Amino acid sequence: MAVLYNFTSACMKNFGGSSFNRQLFCVFRTFHKSAASGDVLGISEERAITPPDVAEETRVKSLREMPGPSTLANLIEFFWRDGFSRIHEIQLEHSKKYGKIFKSRFGPQLVVSIADRDLLAQVLRTESIAPQRGNMDSWKEYRDLRGRSTGLISAEGEDWLRMRSVLRQLIMRPRDVAAFSDDVNEVVDDLVKRICVLRTQQSDGATVLNVNDLFFKYAMEAVAAILYECRLGCLESEVPQETQDYIAALHLMFSSFKTTMYAGAIPKWLRSIIPKPWEEFCDSWDGLFKFSLVHVDKRFAEIKAQLEQGEEVRGGLLTHLLVTKQMTLEEIYANATEMLLAGVDTTSFTLSWATYLLALHPHVQEQIFTEIMTTLGPGRVVTANDVQHLPLIRALVKETLRFFPVLPANGRITQDDLVLGGYFIPKGTQLAMCHYSTSLDDENFPEALDFRLDRWVRKDTTDHVDNFGSIPFGYGIRSCIGRRIAELEMHLSLTRLIQKFHIGLSPVTDDVKAKTHGLLCPGAPINLQFIDRE
Amino acid sequence: MALAAALRRLAPVALGAFPRRTTAVTLGCGSRLAGTRRLSAGTQPLRSDNKVTIHFINRDGEKVTVKGSSGDTLLDVVINEDLDFDGFGACEGTLACSTCHLIFDEEVYKKLGRVTDEEMDMLDLAYGLTETSRLGCQICLTKSLDGMVARVPESVTDIRQSKDETA
Ligand code: HEM
Ligand code: FES
Repeated sequence: MAVLYNFTSACMKNFGGSSFNRQLFCVFRTFHKSAASGDVLGISEERAITPPDVAEETRVKSLREMPGPSTLANLIEFFWRDGFSRIHEIQLEHSKKYGKIFKSRFGPQLVVSIADRDLLAQVLRTESIAPQRGNMDSWKEYRDLRGRSTGLISAEGEDWLRMRSVLRQLIMRPRDVAAFSDDVNEVVDDLVKRICVLRTQQSDGATVLNVNDLFFKYAMEAVAAILYECRLGCLESEVPQETQDYIAALHLMFSSFKTTMYAGAIPKWLRSIIPKPWEEFCDSWDGLFKFSLVHVDKRFAEIKAQLEQGEEVRGGLLTHLLVTKQMTLEEIYANATEMLLAGVDTTSFTLSWATYLLALHPHVQEQIFTEIMTTLGPGRVVTANDVQHLPLIRALVKETLRFFPVLPANGRITQDDLVLGGYFIPKGTQLAMCHYSTSLDDENFPEALDFRLDRWVRKDTTDHVDNFGSIPFGYGIRSCIGRRIAELEMHLSLTRLIQKFHIGLSPVTDDVKAKTHGLLCPGAPINLQFIDRE
Repeated sequence: MALAAALRRLAPVALGAFPRRTTAVTLGCGSRLAGTRRLSAGTQPLRSDNKVTIHFINRDGEKVTVKGSSGDTLLDVVINEDLDFDGFGACEGTLACSTCHLIFDEEVYKKLGRVTDEEMDMLDLAYGLTETSRLGCQICLTKSLDGMVARVPESVTDIRQSKDETA
């Protein structure tokens, strides 16, 4: 789900993420025609600010003085040289060139990028009680149009806080999420079975082509097991046609969503001339909502039937929400929709990268295998409670997310005036937090390009890594609410895979680079061999 | 509608693993993070022998002495006693924020019980971390902690405010 990165529905003009279509390019051209000459370029909106009075040596500088690429250079980079798929690399280049805080301008949108862990810490530690990621107008507009509610990703202010307060009490505490261990393990059983089937289809009897396809199904099945309390059958060998259609539809939706999320970037008045992006945007949402509606309604009907039979109602997340009525039915639909969207690609990309990195580093894989043998032996199935005894598995997930932070940049709109890195940043400024750059910065992680699990293994409980350099789930009250669910899914599946298989590179896999497609995803299919241990 | 009524009746039924809590949240009281408050509902009045005395040292260095019940977390105590530590406990004890960071004496620290990996990860991101730091929402009171001292560290906002004042 490219969505989150869409801190951006509006500011996507900038960091966007996926391939912009030609129509959009026209829009940008119009934006820039007027600005194309002279040095008015890029500063018209930077309000003339008188920084607060301070001692001379600590003079607070204005945004005007902040370095950054020129608007024109940015345009060329992004449109001419298709910078959108390389946003993460450009982030790195720009932070090297302009420093840890720099400004960029995309159309009318000014973005202040922060590529320094201490500045990130400052921003996140001083957040208000309902932080904002970016402009969500287009999301809201769709919801108003269809009479739907906002969910956690799209909601703001009081609405957001109320829903977040309900949901975090259900799915954020590690011990609450540990209760899903058995449910997730059933999905891992199916994942292992599926791998065994798939590899028989290849001539070497070991290769699974494009593992992300497999992990997509795993992540979707696991999230559905938790969110919808039902199984979809994504990993079955004999998938019922109905479910197959569903998966196909969803795949399409996820991918078309990525290219249409920019619909919101086009000013409303242009929609009559270029209607397609907005229409596709709405179609995608219709599909996503429909899927959740079906599953929420199904569960609701089951509960109703149980009640009519005088049976006791038992269940997980959805049942709890439906029974306690802490949220309206529309809010439940919206949150189920947005969580499914946020929970599938993120987890599957991370699993793809993790297994790829394991295949590239057989030595590391052996270390983890040894740890698993010592803790669990060859046969015992790992549960949530075992993970504390598997520090290398936790480290694997952390190091993978450091290498490939699924959200290479995230956004915040400042809700107060603040001084950041010596610059005065007025309230309402769009910030881009450059997680990709800080994750790969040698200052934060010595020999940052080395894949090393020992960075994350603590000698004792007072051994701390003071580090905002890698915060792949964000930090604070607006951080990822699915973090513990995602970690559970990844810890349980990776442990089981390493326990059962030796994971190797398939000869048909090239060097796979990351590309940004909303999220940081594998730029080519990752094909891996799964060879039985013993 | 009959269903709605039935569901309402059902609400007190234990549901799987979920702790039931009533959440009351207010917004917009101006101060940072301070608006987030969780009220634990249905707490049984406990016998006084289950009470544990805690001395908090607030950010101004003042001592605030309160009593909490065994089994409560230190965050519960801060909320129940309505202690005004600005921004404390922003994520309502769900291990997402580390604003419930507290500092202890060495001896007390050793008695606080196991630190989970998740707590350590969040502690990594706590402001003003020390070797005897813990997250208040993860510490459950026991009789053996009676008389403990817990210091609330300065927050980033404090530092900035005091700088502003001297400037
Ligand atoms: C490897 C897996 C995942 C990663 C790396 C990830 C990362 C993130 C990040 C960086 C954010 C933005 C946080 C911020 O702005 O501070 C976020 C938000 C969010 N994530 Fe995740 N996520 C993952 C999996 C999941 C899963 C499995 C779910 C659902 C069960 C989920 C649901 C959400 C939601 C609903 C939000 C919006 C929260 C809000 O605005 O209150 N995520 N995620
Ligand atoms: S209250 Fe957020 S971690 Fe303790």
